[in-house]
Formats: sequence, structure tokens, C-alpha cells
Amino acid sequence: MITMTESSRKLTKSDITKLAFRSVFLQSSFNYERMQAGGWLYAMLPFLKKIHGDDKAKLSQSMKDNLEFINTNPTLVGFLMGLVLSLEENNEDRSLIKGIKVALFGPLAGIGDAIFWFTVLPIVAGISASFANEGSVLGPIIFFLCYCGVFATRIIWTRLGYSVGVKAIGSLQEHSAAISRSATILGVTVIGALIASYVHINVISTIAIGGGHSIGIQKDFFDKILPNILPFGYTFLMYFLLKKKNINPTILILCTFIGAIILSFMGVL
Amino acid sequence: MHSITLIQGILLSVMAIICGFDFWLEGLYLFRPIIVCTLTGLILGDLHIGLLAGGLTELAFAGLTPVGGTQPPNPILAGVMTTVIAYTSNLDVKTAIGLALPFSFLMQYVILFYYSAFSVFMAKAEKYADEADIVKFGRLNILMIVIVGLTYGIVVFLCTYIAQEPMKALVASMPVWLSHGFEIAGGILPAVGFGLLLKVMLKLEFVPFLIIGFIFASFVHFSNLLPVALIGTALAIYVYYNDKNKVIVTQSANNEGEGDDYNDGI
Repeated sequence: MITMTESSRKLTKSDITKLAFRSVFLQSSFNYERMQAGGWLYAMLPFLKKIHGDDKAKLSQSMKDNLEFINTNPTLVGFLMGLVLSLEENNEDRSLIKGIKVALFGPLAGIGDAIFWFTVLPIVAGISASFANEGSVLGPIIFFLCYCGVFATRIIWTRLGYSVGVKAIGSLQEHSAAISRSATILGVTVIGALIASYVHINVISTIAIGGGHSIGIQKDFFDKILPNILPFGYTFLMYFLLKKKNINPTILILCTFIGAIILSFMGVL
Repeated sequence: MHSITLIQGILLSVMAIICGFDFWLEGLYLFRPIIVCTLTGLILGDLHIGLLAGGLTELAFAGLTPVGGTQPPNPILAGVMTTVIAYTSNLDVKTAIGLALPFSFLMQYVILFYYSAFSVFMAKAEKYADEADIVKFGRLNILMIVIVGLTYGIVVFLCTYIAQEPMKALVASMPVWLSHGFEIAGGILPAVGFGLLLKVMLKLEFVPFLIIGFIFASFVHFSNLLPVALIGTALAIYVYYNDKNKVIVTQSANNEGEGDDYNDGI
């Protein structure tokens, strides 16, 4: 679809790397009216200036177009920025550029959130928290290094968007479903383990059965059925209330506290 | 009982400004509790309590993510205050996390206010775009980042240094059943975070993987989660290639069904 002669290229490879770093400004002016639009434009601005040169009218038009509503994943946004800049550089029709931007930011947000918030974060957080809980400074160090690595991938996405351009859209759509599915499986497995390891509910009540003997509800009852059955059950209750009843998480946090305090007062937990 | 010195208060607020920038921009994830708590612990001279608070708070906030423009309870304030309260009042971090939550909600609402308030700047942004004024447009963006960063600095200074005496008095006046209740809630709190993650991720077809992870961690005791992450990776790769082969099989089946047009060329 896009053929570009080398002479029409105004951006260098190092410009694209800079763009990857500047993509961090995506949320600099986040607000409810246009979400990331201001930051999206701010990140790309030096390069738009380079492309349009002293043609103020063109630059202004491009700035206005890129100030329209956008909301996507910050880690992956470089892909879209690279793509849009390659189109701008090639002097493509303005409505085509806008159309591609609008068509892609949603799916990109979906893939990015599935991978970075819902798979990478629980795994990295789970592993680093398990070190931190034992008082090992390795925990935060591992966490920090992993996210430096995640940040570095911005360079890959940005270069990919710029060089592969429109051709990449097809393969992105083709593979995105399989990739997010596998990522979700990994994430869900780890969350299962996180529930068992980090949700603590321990019933301290005992039932007196005469003759000075008593049965510990936790030790002799719940643990005999299945260890961690209460944490699993409570997490599923939260899941149910969040998903099916659409209850605000803040309310669930407050209810958890109130419930815990009442049960503490009664001596159950 | 420890006190926060003025120097520590200032250092904490500088740290909050840096992490606050990062929270706003979602760059290096310095805003996550495990980093914030560790840094707070370092500043207070008690790294151990910072690590413990970090491990707990990080997981409690695992599902509280700013996805799609929603704003969760603030992880930076939760991290700073959990560590500070545990340190100044000699409390278990599980108890401290409960007392830190109001501060976390406070900052959440401050950020929500900025999300609305910054819409006002968009008219200015539009004007600069119209004039193709790159310099002023850049300044406008930096201004918003600076406003957010400074707010973090001020809020954290007030919460940690100025408010420490009333906080200590409050903690000292708590009866045992209340502080024990907070401690229990701190231990259960990650369930809400995991519930939130599952809300987005879980479909019936993924339940087997949840059970595998849960059962493995319940019966095989190990000090970190790496083994489970590897099991998860193995399952993910298996399913990925399984899916891929299925697609190929269905495609070739379709090709055979569709007639000779496609086969001729091969």
C-alpha cells in the first residue's frame, strides 16, 4: 500500500528511537475530555515539525488532527506513533491517517492491557513480593529490572510501527487473539497460586465437645476439606460481586474491613 | 515509637514527586507499592519494614489498575503510609495497610479531580495547535505534569511529617480487637485485587488453569512464585501451538472442501 523512496524519508533511525522514549509523555495532559490526546501530540511534536518543516498551515492541520481523542496502552503506543509518523512523512491523505489511528488505538489498548496489566504485572508482582516478604531486597530489584525491560520494548514497538507500517496491521490482527489467549492462561495460572499464597483467612473459633476437648474449626474442618478453601471462596465471592453485580471495588474493600473488624470483635478470626 | 524527622519528611516528599510523575505517565512503574515501600523504608532507615510492607501492599493492589481511564485507590500513598504507619507506631504491616487506605482514597480523589480539571486546558491546547505554536504547547503539557508531581510532594509531606502525632495518638487509642481486625483485613485484602484481575481475565475455559495454579501452590510449598510462573508458561505455550495447529487443520480442511482452485497452484 505504501511505497516510499528513500529520498522522501525525513526521519532517521535515531529519531524513531527518540520517539520511543518520548512516548512516555502520552499521559502528560490526561483528562476526561480527550484522555491522552495532548500527550500523544506532545510526544510526536518534534518529529511532526521535522516532517512539515516551515509549512505552518500543514503543521497546524496535523497538530489539530492529532489533538483528537485517543486512549490506548502507554507501553504499546509507540507502535501507533511510528505508524502515524510514517504516514505523515509520506504525505498520505489526512483522513486516512486519522482513520488508521482511530481504528487501531482501541485494539492496541486491549492487547496492551491484557499483556502488561493482567499478565506481566501479577507475575512480576507475585515473584518480587514473595522475595520481599522474606525480607530480601531482591524483590524490588527484580521488579525494577523487569519494568526497565518492559520500557525498553517501546523501542521495538516504535520501530516496528514506523518500518513495517500499514503492512503490520494485518499480522497484528491475525496473531493478537492467540497471543492474548496464551497470555491470559499464564496470568490465570499465576493468580490461582497467588490466591493460595497471599490471601490469609484463619478461623480461630473452636467448638467445645465436652470433657475439656474442642475442635478447631480451621484445623479440623476447613483444612481437612481443602487447604486455602476460605481464601479461594472469598476471592470468588469478590469476583462474583465485581463481575455479576458490578459493585465498586472501593465498596468491597470497605466491606472487607468492616467484616474483618466485626469478626475480630466476635473472636471468630 | 519512632518519629519522622523533617529531613525524612522532605526526602519522602521528593520521592513522592518522582514516583508521582511516573504514576501520571506510567513509565517505569516506580509508582507500584513494592518500589514505593522499599524507598520509604530506605529513607526511614528501616529497609526490612519497607520490604515487608512492599510485598503485602503490592499484592493488595495487584488488580487495582488504571486501565481505560479509571482511577484506582492510589498505590503511592498506600505504599508510603503503610510503611510510615508500621514504622512510627510499631504495627504489623497488615494492620498498617488498613490505616493507610484512607490516604490512598484521598489521593485517588485528588487525581480524579485533575482528570476533570485538566479538560479546561484543552481549549488552550487547541489554540496553540491552531497557531502551530510548538513551544507553548510543550509548556502546557509540562505544566500539567508539574502540577501533579508537586501535589504528590505536598500531600505526602502533610500526611507523613505534619500528621504523625495525631496518627500515633489514634493508633495508641485503638482497642486490640480493632487493630486485630485491621490486621485480618490486611491479610484478606489481596482477594479484592485478585477478584478484580479475574473479573477481566477469567472465562469458563480458563478455570482449569486457575485450579492448577491454586492447587499447586496449596500443596507444594516453595518460597517464590517462579515455579508456578513456569508451569503457566508451559501451559500457555502448549495451548498457543495447539490453537495454531487447529487453525492450520481447519484451513486445510476448508481448502479441500472448496475445490480445486487452490490446490492447482500448490
